[in-house]
Amino acid sequence: MRIGIDVGGTHTDAVILNGDKVIAATKSLTTSDVVSGISNALDEILLSGGVRVEQIQTVMIGTTQFTNAIIERKSLSRMAVIRVGLPSGRGMPPMVDWPHDMHEAINAQVHMIHGGYLYDGHPLSDLRESEITAVIRALKMENIKNIAISSAFSPMNAEPENKVSQAILEAIPDAQLTLSHQFGRLGLLERENAAIMNTSLLPFAKHVVDAFLAALKSHGLTCPAFISQNDGTLMSSEFVRRFPALTFSSGPTNSLRGAYKLTGLKEAIVVDIGGTTSDIGVLQDGFPRESNVVVNIGGIRTNFRMPDILAIGLGGGSHVSDDGKTIGPQSVGHRLVHDGLVFGGNTLTATDIIVASGVRDIGVPAKVAGLTSNLIEKATDTMHAMLDRAIDMMKPGGKALPVILVGGGAVLVTGDLKAASKLYRPENAGVANAIGAAIAQVGGESERMLSYRNISREDAIAEVTAAATERALAAGADRETIRAVDIEETAIPYMDEGATRVRVKVIGELRT
Amino acid sequence: MSETLTHIGREHLDDLALGAVFLATGGGGDPYVPKLITAEAIKTFGPVQLLPPQDLADDAFIVPVGSVGAPTVSLELLPSVEEAAETLNAFEKFVGRKIDAVTSFEIGGGNSVIPICAAAAKGLPIVDGDGMGRALPEAQMMSYPIGGVKPTPALAYDYAGNIATFQTDTTETYERHIRAFSMSAGGMITAAEHAMTGRQLKDTIIPGTVSFSVKLGRLLREKRGQAPELEKPLAALFADSIYGECRLLYTGKVIDKTTRIIGGYDIGEATIESFESSQENLSVNIKNEYLLAKQGDRVCASVPDLITIVDFETGTPINAERLRYGQRVAVFATACPDFYRSETALKVVAPRCFGFDIDYVPLEKLRSASRLKA
Repeated sequence: MRIGIDVGGTHTDAVILNGDKVIAATKSLTTSDVVSGISNALDEILLSGGVRVEQIQTVMIGTTQFTNAIIERKSLSRMAVIRVGLPSGRGMPPMVDWPHDMHEAINAQVHMIHGGYLYDGHPLSDLRESEITAVIRALKMENIKNIAISSAFSPMNAEPENKVSQAILEAIPDAQLTLSHQFGRLGLLERENAAIMNTSLLPFAKHVVDAFLAALKSHGLTCPAFISQNDGTLMSSEFVRRFPALTFSSGPTNSLRGAYKLTGLKEAIVVDIGGTTSDIGVLQDGFPRESNVVVNIGGIRTNFRMPDILAIGLGGGSHVSDDGKTIGPQSVGHRLVHDGLVFGGNTLTATDIIVASGVRDIGVPAKVAGLTSNLIEKATDTMHAMLDRAIDMMKPGGKALPVILVGGGAVLVTGDLKAASKLYRPENAGVANAIGAAIAQVGGESERMLSYRNISREDAIAEVTAAATERALAAGADRETIRAVDIEETAIPYMDEGATRVRVKVIGELRT
Repeated sequence: MSETLTHIGREHLDDLALGAVFLATGGGGDPYVPKLITAEAIKTFGPVQLLPPQDLADDAFIVPVGSVGAPTVSLELLPSVEEAAETLNAFEKFVGRKIDAVTSFEIGGGNSVIPICAAAAKGLPIVDGDGMGRALPEAQMMSYPIGGVKPTPALAYDYAGNIATFQTDTTETYERHIRAFSMSAGGMITAAEHAMTGRQLKDTIIPGTVSFSVKLGRLLREKRGQAPELEKPLAALFADSIYGECRLLYTGKVIDKTTRIIGGYDIGEATIESFESSQENLSVNIKNEYLLAKQGDRVCASVPDLITIVDFETGTPINAERLRYGQRVAVFATACPDFYRSETALKVVAPRCFGFDIDYVPLEKLRSASRLKA
């Protein structure tokens, strides 16, 4: 049996899964210290499920704490960043485009030194001993232990980052380093940004992971604990201590993965209806389809992969116009339980319409008895039409796909959706996130720029796959179950024929 | 929006770069990094004077400057502020003459801002205009050589300060030589080429495109939202410019995209399926830029007119290398400046120059795709 916990900004959800079966589930408020909320949720599911802690083999946690730390500029640590790439990039130092308050929050020491490689494997410049020595002196002077290192084309050749890292560790043995190639992707500024954010989160990550483990231990849970990443795969708790930034945006991913688990549908549209918005995502082979736009986190440009989500302003708290033709995007949000008509308030909301139509019994139905059947019908049509339109826009190709409804607002859908081949309303849809965390697999990803003139396509893909596999193993995957789930080749214009960017993603079952 | 822009400051760069991606018709590279380096240059050296072409003396000496290479490379091999200015210093030394102003190869993509970076660091004005009015893949497609300006003497400067100079008869030969140098010098270099007099510039430049791109970017930013809402304001803005009609061709979802590299170019095709099921799919042919939009055999728009694909939800233009299966998009087509509709220009930029077996028909004479129901 496994436990899945989702620590969101508002709710902490927890489930116990026995194979595919949900044995216990709870939804409680997130507490300010986070840990007591987790503790409460654990108490409740262990009790209601009648499960002994010895029966639990693994615990999976999804958390927004690291994303929130970046967005709120809190719990971030003083650090240094070293970019290896001169003479390129002179006058454009690391963090050049960062918001002012983020600069203040991490107050980083910045170094730029010679070194790095070109796209074709020639050195950009040689490393200089004297520059490295000067950097180490400056680090020691201010007693800085958390350090990010980036270098040009390091996803293709990490040697400069590794050499500088070794030199620093020899001089400062307890230094905590993030090397940008560990984040894989091409795009020096974005990769460097990820490494810097990660580094500034390292001490906080240690604190959070220790607290999670303490909460588990206090319940007698000594089994391995994992934390979910943005691509729907897991990291060991030890790995999170080193790479907390990889948890960014794991929430929507877990919701999509949970919907997959609840239905077993590998190709489907998932509609997560909350209080204010409906978030529509796509499952492809059981995983979220990824977005290809540049992702900003707390005003900082990154190249993390995020699920492709279309959010429309339709939720349980959405305002409904008097003629029923316009719904949202304004919403009473979490004040629904005070402001909605059925709860004794004065605002006509989407929830009121559904209660008035008689298909759902929420609050005090008598309060909406006065609504005309014309309005109810019109507003119901509007809601369904909004969802149909959004689903049509998200579905790949011309064919209708099954639609899975999750989230507290799923009650709004009372009729059929024309855009869906079939509509699914799984049980436990309210805790899809926690379920998504509980079933996460372990993944690894790697990306290189290669020339098919120098290496055969087969060998190139094998080489990148091997690098991705190493990452998956390091994150806790079982070698036997690892398989490539995505191979992407992008030819590069204006370069010699055959110059290609190859990216491979592998996943595997958790090593037990 | 009618005020005249006399200087380019940091406050204009976001809009300029956003407009430049729309005008880049899918090519030209992401201007993000060039924009950052230009912002740093303006921060250090101050705003850059923007000169209307007619304000230049006939005997002034003007040099187009910009990056040549693979945009993907500059994701890693970052440019530096002094590179652009040092290119101009080296060029002055090479030809033995002081430069009076710099101008741009192409307004589409990263080269919309690189000349501003160079001008800021060198303390020179930049001319309001460019050599394409959009982005196109090869140097001989610029309005300067089409109008008779010689490519050389030209000079290229790499990230480490290595210099190559060029002396060739034709722009086609120059283009081959400088590409070869760029590839052996890390994949991205800065070049000064097609130097000309004020008189030549006035005869060949696509005027006003720098200030227009700022206006266009401002419109895209202020009206950010679903693409169909942009149609009217865009049409109004383009109608009142050196371009002409701008129309929303199509809205739909990318259901297929193939690309392969042939002769150094990203060749491919995207297929877009309408949100309205009754419409035939739209295919868009790509050779670095979006060059030809068709429904079946019927041409909806073609090069040298501009084809731009934007994100349906936000109206943000999407580069060809970022266009992907599953994206929800809108396709706009815009009439190119009259310069590119002349017989001389069409000899190098007509659809046949890109391997498409069709004659060029101006956008205005083509039936609108979105009104066709199959």
